[in-house]
Parts: sequence; C-alpha cells; structure tokens
Amino acid sequence: MTLALTSSFIADLLAGPRPSEWGDLRKAAEARLAGRDLPTSSDEDWKYTNLKALGNLAFSPAPRAAVDISGHLLPEMVGTRQVFVNGHHAPHASCASAVPAGVRFLPLSIASEACHSLGSLENGAEQGVFEDLNTARFEDGAVLLVPKNMKVALPLHLLFITKADTPLAVFPRVLMVLERGAELELVEEHYGTGTYLSCPVVEVRVGEGAVLRHERVQRDSDEAFHFGTLRAEVAKGGQYHSRTLSFGARLSRQQPWVRLAEGAEVSLDGLALLDDHQVADTHSFLLHAEPHATSHQLHKCIVDGQARAIFNGQIRVAPHAQGTDARQQSRNLLLSESARMDTKPQLEIYADDVKCSHGATVGQLDPEELFYLQSRGLNADDARNLLTYGFAGDVLNRIPVASLRRALRQLVMARTQADSLGDLS
Amino acid sequence: MVMLSIKNLHAEAAGKPGKPILRGLSLEVEAGEVCALMGPNGSGKSTLGKVLVGHPAYEVTGGEVLFEGKNLFDLEPDARARAGIFMGFQHPIEVPGVSNAAFLRLAYNKKAEAEGRDELDPLEFDDFIHEKIKLVAMKEEFLDRSLNEGFSGGEKKRNEILQMAVLEPKLAILDELDSGLDIDALRVLGDAVNKLQRPDRALLIITHFPRILETIQPQYVHVLSGGRILKSAGKELAIELEERGYDWVLEEAAAGGVR
Ligand SMILES: Nc1ncnc2c1ncn2[C@@H]1O[C@H](COP(=O)(O)OP(=O)(O)OP(=O)(O)O)[C@@H](O)[C@H]1O
Ligand SMILES: [Mg+2]
Repeated sequence: MTLALTSSFIADLLAGPRPSEWGDLRKAAEARLAGRDLPTSSDEDWKYTNLKALGNLAFSPAPRAAVDISGHLLPEMVGTRQVFVNGHHAPHASCASAVPAGVRFLPLSIASEACHSLGSLENGAEQGVFEDLNTARFEDGAVLLVPKNMKVALPLHLLFITKADTPLAVFPRVLMVLERGAELELVEEHYGTGTYLSCPVVEVRVGEGAVLRHERVQRDSDEAFHFGTLRAEVAKGGQYHSRTLSFGARLSRQQPWVRLAEGAEVSLDGLALLDDHQVADTHSFLLHAEPHATSHQLHKCIVDGQARAIFNGQIRVAPHAQGTDARQQSRNLLLSESARMDTKPQLEIYADDVKCSHGATVGQLDPEELFYLQSRGLNADDARNLLTYGFAGDVLNRIPVASLRRALRQLVMARTQADSLGDLS
Repeated sequence: MVMLSIKNLHAEAAGKPGKPILRGLSLEVEAGEVCALMGPNGSGKSTLGKVLVGHPAYEVTGGEVLFEGKNLFDLEPDARARAGIFMGFQHPIEVPGVSNAAFLRLAYNKKAEAEGRDELDPLEFDDFIHEKIKLVAMKEEFLDRSLNEGFSGGEKKRNEILQMAVLEPKLAILDELDSGLDIDALRVLGDAVNKLQRPDRALLIITHFPRILETIQPQYVHVLSGGRILKSAGKELAIELEERGYDWVLEEAAAGGVR
C-alpha cells in the first residue's frame, strides 16, 4: 500500500521500513497519519505549544547503542528491571531475576503472543499524531502482566534511555495488565543525551479491585522533545495512582487519558520544574464513565527563566455516572518575570449527583510564608529557596520508593538552589 | 539593664497611609522581665509585635526602637531573629512541603552560625530536638510533618513554643499563646516558657485573659489602646481588668489628657 503523505515531517519519520510484527496495528496507524501534518497553534489543543522547532529538525530511526546505566539504578529494584536503549531492549543492562514467578515482565519482542490487547485501549479519545507515530514505528517495548490476586511486594523498574549522537526518533511502548485483585508498584523513567524525539505510549489496564501505583519520571536531555501518551482503563473498584514528574526536555507534552469504571479510584498528580526556554504541556482527560468513581488530580508547575507551562485538565462525567467525586487542582509558581503559565480546567458534567471541584492558582511565593521563615532567622534567599523546594517537596514526599524519593529531592534541591540548606528530609 | 526601648513609635499598614495603628507608643523592657500586654481588640497589640519583628505588612512612620542599644530598624527580619528576637504568632502560617524537623534544624543552624557556635548535623540535631519536644510535650510525629500544615490551632501554638525552645531568644513576644489551647496544654506550654526564662532574657506576653498570667507571672501589665500604652501597673492589674473591663482605664487616661 502506498500512502499519500503530504507532511514531510511525518512522512520522513515513516519513510523507513515498517517493523514486521503488529502489521495490522501499524497499517491502521499509518492510514490515520496519511495526509496529516504536525499540529499547529490554530489547532485548539495545541494553541500554546508551538511545534515549529520540532518541524525544522529531521530525526532518523534510532540504532542500538550501549550505555552505562550504573547511575540510574535504584537499590529497591535490583533484579526487577527492564532497560531499553534507543527503543531497543538492552538484555545485558536488564535484570529480572527478582521478579516473582507468575508475573510476566518482558520485552514485547519476546512476549508478543501474550499481548493480544495491545493498541486496543481507546477510552473515548482519538489517537494523536505522536501516538500513531509510535504505533507505526515502535521497535520494542515492555509488557507487564500481573495475574489475578497477586500482590507484588517489590517495585518494578522500567528505564528508557536514549543516546542520540545525531537527531534520533524513539518510540518506547509499554503494555501493563493487572488482573483482578493484583497489586503493583512501577517506576518508569526516561533519560537521555543529545537531540531526539521520544514518543512513548503506555497502555494500562487495571482489573477489578486491582491497585497500580505508577511513578513516571521524565529526565530527558535539554535538547529533547517528549510527547507522552498514557491510556489507562480502571475497572470496577480498581485503583490507579500515577505521578508524572517532568524535569527535562526542551519541549514536553503529557497526555494521560484515564477511564474510570464503577467505584474506581484514580489519582493523577503532576510536577513540572522548568527553566530557560523549556516548555511543558499537560493535557489530561479523565472520563468518569460509571457511577461512584473518585478522581484526584494535583498538578504543580515551577516555572523560571523564559519557560512556559501549560495545563489543560479535562474531566468528563458521563450521564449515568452518579456519585462521581472529581477534584482537580492546578498550582503554579512563577519565579521570573518572563515565566509563563496557561492553565485551564475543562469540566463536562452530564450527571446531576456529582461532586466536582477545580481550582487554579498562578503566582509568586507567598510573602507571609517568606516572612514567617525569615522571622526564624533564615535570610531572604534561603527562605525563597526553601519555599520553592517545599512547593515541589509536597509532591515528592509522597513518592513511596525511598531511593527515588531521595534522588528526586536532591535533583529538585539543586534546581531550586535549596541544596545549600543541607538535608531537608 | 534595658533590653528593649520603644520611644514614641508610630506605624501604619503598609500601602494604607493616613490610618495610624500605633500612635506614639513608648515602652521599656528590662532583661529578666516578664510583662503582659493587654488591651481591647484592635488596639494594636499584634501590630506592635509584628513591627518589632519586621513584618512587611507594616510601615514605621515615626519613633525609635533600640534593642540592646542598637537601632532595631537597621536590621532585616532574619537578622532580628538571629539577634535574639522571637515572636510566637497569633496565627502561625502553614508551609506545605517543608518538613518541620528540617526547618527547625535549619533555623537552629542559621542562628548557631551567626553566633559562631557549631552547627548540628541531622543526627546531633535529632538528640537535641528530642529534649525540646519533651519540654513542650509534642508527639514525635509532628516533626516529620510539613511545617504547621494541617496542625490544629493548639498544635500550631505548641509548635511556636517548640521553635522558641530551639532558638532560645533573648526577647520572646508571645501573641495570644493562650487562645486555642486547652487547659492542660496551657499549663504545659506555660511551664515550658517559664523554664526558658532567664535573668538575661525577657518575655512580652500578649493576652486577653489572666489565666495564662497565673502560670507565666508578669512583673508588669501594660494596657494598650488606640496604639498607645495607657496604663502600666503590677500583675494585679490583670485581675482588675478581668473584673472591670477596659472602660475605666480609657476614662482615666482621657481625664489625664490622653485620647
Ligand atoms: N495589615 C493591615 N491592614 C489594615 N489594617 C490593619 C492591618 N493590620 C492591623 N490593622 C488594623 O489595626 C488595628 C490593630 O490591629 P491588631 O491586630 O494589632 O490588634 P490587636 O490588638 O492584636 O487585636 P486582637 O486583640 O483582636 O488580636 C485594627 O483595627 C486592625 O484592623
Ligand atoms: Mg492580636
């Protein structure tokens, strides 16, 4: 089949050979991409996020590469780790020896027969360009299957590392399925060096009464572009708690889409720490499809320099989803005159017996809080740094994996100049 | 020795000129002294305290304050704290994300550094703070929580006194410590404040009720109204005010030419 691709950016990315597996899925994605261009600011969904700089670059398919991962290991997760470098599975860097029997935590390329549901999660939102690009061209990815009622004690670690000596495109893919009553904690991290385009797609199915805690850390390089798609479906009484922490990338966009069935509980937290000319955009969509589900969303951005953050939080409550409890908060700290934040709640409520609330604040540090710290002897700079750190610390303190919590606290302390204040834990 | 000398102090809310809150207030506090500051709602008690610790919501428009002989207004709020002035606030602020223990250690170390004493590392501080929380009968879990976040009114007051115990200020101004405290907490914290009092330190207790003054016994009671001290007397004045209210003090002052 030949495709009439008018956009050179997308056509170039699809120019290489189509990977052999998942042919139907890839063809469908290519068909949707046919004739499509990168979104522009005239597209309502991309109003504030300009993709011109991306469009001006050419990215090639990523070759296999070797990287030293010793700096990225987390002690709680020695033996429960799968590593992907430039989109390819890195068997020597991975170690899954401590993954309990019954849990399948494997590269897609090995476990493809177990993944009949890949690409089938639609949950009410149509595929975006970057998601389709992933589907059309992903090389490999991770599969995680947790059987019925299995409660996995050790957290699992998923590392995606990109090493780009020339501009590269990578398409990390993850499929997670927790069967009924299963419990799991997963840390997903993205690191890299050089200029690259990363378009991860993560599909999550949380079964009835299952519980998934999902930490997502984006520490891509300063020259990277990151477009992440998360599709999650939480079955009756299931719980899905995710926290997305964005530190890197010159331009990043996170699109978490979550569908909640009856009585499901979801928390979707975000923290973005931005400086220089960084742009971080989050467009989230929570679909309360059935009654009595709860969603809590706390999104925080600390924006310095000329950086820009965007938050668009869409919540839809379906007509019969009575008893929905949906709370959304967007809290933002602007640290410089030229930092910018655009935040918008988007509530679509079609049921009548619901509790929905949202709030947004954009501002500087609170002078009352600054004074309080100063009145205890901290000088103005220390007080400012401590409060800035505290603004982020509020989110970091809830990370359950101690070593990750410590590492990210240190990162944030360095970025908020709070490292001179000593140990703040 | 006079520790704090306030002469003819005038102050108003910053950015709201023309409505003076403190109107020629004069007061001296000696080292070793405990004094109570009483007066009707809105008379300027909290404002006086906040002006002394350099709260940015107020602007000093006249007068002079010397602390240990030095002009207080030359110092930024943090320098005043390190010089030994402390205010326990009527409404302490919540600071999410900053751990109470880390904050206390930081505050302690900043002061130690300023005084040329050794700073405490986290382990040493752990021992130190455990003695202090015993003094104010605070549960250990409050150390791990964010500074004042979600604390009840009384817990916040307890935390203020913990901060005082950590910083050991020369001059402590305690603004309505007793409001929001249950009877036992009031006794515990009153005892703690007494233990911290020494001949080279002074206390200024702002209150509406004589009860706290039974535990923390003042040598003097000053009555503030309309931004000035109208009357100063011994501690028996607190009881008299409890029985008779403030009107007679105001009338007496008016008769004496003060308005
Ligand atoms: N920031 C401010 N802006 C405007 N007016 C203020 C400000 N702070 C205080 N005031 C006013 O100054 C007066 C004195 O207030 P202050 O809080 O000092 O009273 P107080 O004696 O502590 O009263 P209370 O016993 O009720 O605590 C009040 O009339 C108050 O409304
Ligand atoms: Mg007051």
